[in-house]
Amino acid sequence: MAVAAVGRVLRLGGRWSVAARDGPRAQTLRVIYTTAVVQRKNVAASGPEKYTEAFIKKQIEEFNLGKRHLANMMGEDPETFTQEDIDKAIAYLFPSGLFDERARPMMKHPTEIFPEKRKIQWGEDGRPFHFLFYTGKQSYYSLMHETYGMLLNAQKYQDQMTAQGFPPEKEKKNLPGSRWLTKVELEEMLLEKLSDHDYSRFIQLLQKLVTLPYGNVEEKYMQKFSKEIAMQLQKVVIEPLKYDEQGVAFSTGEGQRKTARATAVVYDNGSGKITVNGVDVLHYFPVLQDREQLLFPFQFLDRIGKHDMICTVSGGGRSSQAGAIRLASAKALRSFVTEKEVEFMRQVFLCSVAGLLTTDPRLKERKKPGQEGARRKFTWKKR
Amino acid sequence: MLRSVKGLVCHTPKLDHGHALHTTAKDWLSSTVSQDVRILAERSRAIFRTSENDPANHAEHHEGCHYSIPLQEVKAVFPHGLPSPFQQQIKTFNEACLMVRKPALELFAYLKSSSFAHPAIRYVIYGEKGTGKTMTLCHVVHYCARQGWLVLHIPDAHLWVKNCRELMQSSYNKERLDQPLQASFWLKNFKTTNERFLKEIKTQQKYAWGKRESTEEGRPLGEVVEQGLARVRNASDAVGVVLKEIKQQCHLGSFRLLVAVDGVNALWGKTTLRKEDKSPVSPEELTLVYNLRKMVRNDWNGGAIVTTLSQTGSLFKPSSAYLPHELLGKEGFDALDPFVPIRVSNYSPQEFESCYHYYLDRKWLQHEKARTAEGRDELRFLSGANPRQLQRLAGPL
Repeated sequence: MAVAAVGRVLRLGGRWSVAARDGPRAQTLRVIYTTAVVQRKNVAASGPEKYTEAFIKKQIEEFNLGKRHLANMMGEDPETFTQEDIDKAIAYLFPSGLFDERARPMMKHPTEIFPEKRKIQWGEDGRPFHFLFYTGKQSYYSLMHETYGMLLNAQKYQDQMTAQGFPPEKEKKNLPGSRWLTKVELEEMLLEKLSDHDYSRFIQLLQKLVTLPYGNVEEKYMQKFSKEIAMQLQKVVIEPLKYDEQGVAFSTGEGQRKTARATAVVYDNGSGKITVNGVDVLHYFPVLQDREQLLFPFQFLDRIGKHDMICTVSGGGRSSQAGAIRLASAKALRSFVTEKEVEFMRQVFLCSVAGLLTTDPRLKERKKPGQEGARRKFTWKKR
Repeated sequence: MLRSVKGLVCHTPKLDHGHALHTTAKDWLSSTVSQDVRILAERSRAIFRTSENDPANHAEHHEGCHYSIPLQEVKAVFPHGLPSPFQQQIKTFNEACLMVRKPALELFAYLKSSSFAHPAIRYVIYGEKGTGKTMTLCHVVHYCARQGWLVLHIPDAHLWVKNCRELMQSSYNKERLDQPLQASFWLKNFKTTNERFLKEIKTQQKYAWGKRESTEEGRPLGEVVEQGLARVRNASDAVGVVLKEIKQQCHLGSFRLLVAVDGVNALWGKTTLRKEDKSPVSPEELTLVYNLRKMVRNDWNGGAIVTTLSQTGSLFKPSSAYLPHELLGKEGFDALDPFVPIRVSNYSPQEFESCYHYYLDRKWLQHEKARTAEGRDELRFLSGANPRQLQRLAGPL
């Protein structure tokens, strides 16, 4: 930053403004007499401050030095001082009670702190580096150019193959587990703003490349622009059934709702008896609504009278305890049930709370200062 | 799909139950379903109903079945005994149907085999809320009424220890308090139940009600009752006299006596009544309770005492209490000490089926889903096989 300011001073010192932007044409420096106001305006119009490479390098050196000092202070070995150790040390030396993690003191590598900004795109003579600089969106257009080049390559390859008599390969479909980059991610990658139209054109081009018969030749190139999704389908592991002493199959599940936590053990070959915290369900939940909530997972799977259940629950109120037990029993029933039904259980229903296997994320909303409750304001008085 | 089915309906009306030919497809589908259910119902009608209307002949194979009591008898035998939801049900269904259950059959066996030369045996029916204790008591009362016993039925002893507007000092005993309204109400119902006995039993002593009124020795007990009804001030004393006379003459053997008390734990608990100086009233200070306690003691023979514990109307007792020693307290337990406990529990699967089919038969369950097997399982789960819960659940359906 300081270097850039110095650079500016060099250029604008003594109310001399050098027309440096008339790049290659101006061999001599022309002197233009302007007032300070205009110069100041020009400074403001140059856009957000850009970090120079030298500046970033200096920051990295300072960071490494600081890291060694910190390691010395904490009594650790400077050579094997990782980022996690740094975080722990900072949290120890500067304890903070702030709620937001991003507001607390931190010491990280400069590449993480300073967002990647566009370094200055022209040299000292004012000539831009990239040939597409004057389009305004040089990285975008260069990307489009490159991708189109790939497309043409693939078509040429296809033509070659058909000329040689090989039949075209089957169209390879995109794996269901991947998606293209979003507009925001693309902007981050290219470090310049895009418009929606630009983004859609780029995605169309990529998809055309994919659908070409020999498009998968450029797969490596395309993988840069795709991300995998739907990891959650593989994450959930259905536990197998356990067997207790008499050989009766059972399975456990845990659930929570608001502040209530429940664990349920569902036994097979039962008669539909349910015990909660050692008490019969009729006594623990005298209200019909709570019992209906408990009924729902069994009713959905048509297994009302087939299982016994013993559960323990704590915390929360009457309704949240019922919801917690419902979730726990649904999770326990997963082991008794086929894959398809598990999928049905997870889906969202129109009327009820999201599915049977999702924890309800609603919690009590915080009370804000200046208001009586979370949403309720104080009585409004006209005067 | 529906239109094609409708076409089928017009061509082949398979139903021969008098349905109109122009039924919509939905009706046709549902009517086939209900046809199956009806067949099932007819088969199970044999299961859940019995034509045996005399409780004396109820045996174990009648367990789970409903038997009906003719409405005339209901008015005669139960002027005040049945619980109010059941009375509403009688009005709706136009019949009074009681389920024969194991505790009642047990009691009948005991009553039949007990010898009346020995002191009266006390039976205490207990169980959780809503399991059918009062209905069992009513079943026993009906049985004894058919057998020709003199039935002393106190529908709810809790009514005597709470919510009393008028408390008067007793003229007989200065320390006790009278409750004229409750006493006269009970006397009226007692009269309806036991008309013929009141003519047969004669007083054995002279009773003076005031300066000018008195009942001579040898007059029928009916006169005492009339006196109590006419002069409400003396109603509680009239009740006391009736109880004393009956107890004295029971061992002579001309009639059998059944003392049926519902909510007997009220006799030994606390009351919510206060005297005029705001001091609390204990149960012994109430004339009615005092006399009733004397009846429940087993120092007489020639009959039986059947009582029920009830938490619903009880005062100052937690709602999870249902065991005898919890509800009676130490005093009550000692007073009732040698008693035969009879446990009443929730419906067994067979009894639940029977009750469910009864409701279906009387068209009480109107919801379409209620007729399916899933609906039945749902009802069973939600009510927990508790009779009262089932009855309350089935109401809105």
